[in-house]
Amino acid sequence: MSGRAQHPGGLPSTEALLLPLADRLLPLRPGEPGRPGGPGPVRPPRRPRPPRPAARLIGAELRHAGRVFAAEALKQHRTMFGQPLVVASMLIWPLLQLAATYYTLHPIAAGSAAAARWPLAADPAKLLGFLATGALAWAFFFSLVQSAWNFSYERTTGTLELLFLSPAGRLVLMLANGAGALLQNAWLLTCFLGAAAFGFGSLDVAGPWMYPVVLLALLLPAMAWGALLNSLMVFSRDSTFVYTVLDDPMWFVGGVRLPVFALPGVLRVLGAALPLTGSLAVVRGALLERQGLAALAPALAWLAVLCALLLAAAVLALRLGEARAQRTGGLRLV
Amino acid sequence: MIRTHDLRKTFRVREKGLFGPRLEKTAVDGLDLLIPPGRVTGLLGLNGAGKTSTIKILATLLRPTSGTVTLDGLDLVEHAREARRRINLIAGGERMVYGKLTGAENLRYFGRLYDVPAPVLRRRTGELLDLVGLGHAADIPVERYSRGMAQRLSIARGLVNDPAYLLLDEPTLGLDAPIARDLRRVVADLATEGRGVLLTSHYLAEVEELCRHVYVIADGRHLAEGSPAELKAATGSHRAVRVTVTNPSPGLTDRITGFVRGIGAEPQLAPTADGGLLVTVHHPEDIAGPLAGAVVGAGGAIGGLEVTEASLEDAILALADGSAGPGTGAGTGPRAAPGPRSGAGAGAGPAAPTSAGTEVAA
Repeated sequence: MSGRAQHPGGLPSTEALLLPLADRLLPLRPGEPGRPGGPGPVRPPRRPRPPRPAARLIGAELRHAGRVFAAEALKQHRTMFGQPLVVASMLIWPLLQLAATYYTLHPIAAGSAAAARWPLAADPAKLLGFLATGALAWAFFFSLVQSAWNFSYERTTGTLELLFLSPAGRLVLMLANGAGALLQNAWLLTCFLGAAAFGFGSLDVAGPWMYPVVLLALLLPAMAWGALLNSLMVFSRDSTFVYTVLDDPMWFVGGVRLPVFALPGVLRVLGAALPLTGSLAVVRGALLERQGLAALAPALAWLAVLCALLLAAAVLALRLGEARAQRTGGLRLV
Repeated sequence: MIRTHDLRKTFRVREKGLFGPRLEKTAVDGLDLLIPPGRVTGLLGLNGAGKTSTIKILATLLRPTSGTVTLDGLDLVEHAREARRRINLIAGGERMVYGKLTGAENLRYFGRLYDVPAPVLRRRTGELLDLVGLGHAADIPVERYSRGMAQRLSIARGLVNDPAYLLLDEPTLGLDAPIARDLRRVVADLATEGRGVLLTSHYLAEVEELCRHVYVIADGRHLAEGSPAELKAATGSHRAVRVTVTNPSPGLTDRITGFVRGIGAEPQLAPTADGGLLVTVHHPEDIAGPLAGAVVGAGGAIGGLEVTEASLEDAILALADGSAGPGTGAGTGPRAAPGPRSGAGAGAGPAAPTSAGTEVAA
């Protein structure tokens, strides 16, 4: 039989560890869409299933969505981050960028009039904290751009139409694909918090309850953002363009390496439309400025609105994209 | 069963560039198909005939411009999601799986998309891998598979939801002969188990072996249908008998020609390299014995005797040749099957059955 718990390299497979858990957490109910076993004895052709009560139907849909979510997220994780070295490189890359930015900014900011307008820049520890939070949030959001970019390649490998051939919920697939890319960021976040707590000593948190807030403020907008990007890219023939637009401009207007107030008005408006900007405001407020829930409420509310808008846009893009693909033959067989 | 009625699909395409005029291209033009459970149904046509567009419509990947498609009474457009649970598609090529995942992981992934219950999926994954001869490679990443192995995995993937209807688009494309043979056996078994199978293939011998009913289309339109034997008969594609006469003479040739014409056929005569005469006769019946008797009776010496059965390929080529003739594309519905390619048996073919149940003179 094929069930196994080991990678070829000897490490336990993520799928072998997590998917059985997902199956257990989302248990089957007797009598639910049980399709009989695989190729086997002769059996009569199946008839359409009788209608089920709405509650059972919703339960079955949710269970299916959960299983699709787990399967897609883990597939994405395995596809993009199959080797441990990739995970290690994820830490090295933001660290290098952080170091480059810090050593570029610090001499200028500390020794000039800039510090008058941006006092934080004069304090090396605070500047490092500011830039590190920016690098962390940037890594979360940009990993989704990369993930969507990779997802768009499923058009050419022939697997995309298989996803659309299946009864799996489209939005669930898009969300899960992004979530897969976020899985590995948990490692990045852990490293950051460890370094922040023991290394640069600039953490200033109102209480431990703020850590889950920070995590959610990063995860939920990132997932909604990923769902929208995936929905746009899977149907777009110009995903390279989208990738380019969201690379440097995103860190620039998002306030990753510079405070948003230093940007011109138009860029600030553009930045406000990006969930990265809102997430970063919450992360910095909670981790570096000792802000509590009350102080962060407006930013959190705006993030919630933005998440809803992003998800609505993702649904719209999916519906339009799939309808167009069905009209034009855009989902092509290999 | 899957039933289509007056199925049409047109695409609007630009002739050239971004701003060129849009043209309407008809891919499927009024097709009526029936794919019942328990039978392998063939869909044949030359490149660009509309086979893939038809399969994509049946797989819910394309929306028809007009006409209806139902699956066990369920409208395929209105209830696409429910229909997707009961169908699957296998296309030729090895790319429709994930290279980083192992064979077993690929099947489990797709099984979850189809909401196959976990215990069933565990069992079925092993069964399917064994079925396609990949049990030994279940835990190897697909990127290390050979092309044939990846293609076999793609076939297993198409069965992971235990589909009631299976759409096969060139499933044996590029497969080695023994593997293709095994796949044909699997397809035949699937139909025996009660599944409805639609098969398109450029390997006509495969279609002939598997399909009890074949639709032939050209330019998206229905051209003919029937069993392979009916199609061959309808197009006048008959078995060929070849006799090599080692001592030809004008008198002997005349007597052989007279005999052949007497049974309603026209002989093809060709000299052989060693001075003999090759006589080829196409005829619906087995005339090898009478022909050999006639040659010997006329004083001829037989150096060789060969009987070649008519193939579906002959029939399809004859239909294709006919569809390319005058009147093609006039949108007049099912057309008459043309005569045979060779002179033998010309005009002797029976009528071609059509979707309307009527018969059109061949």
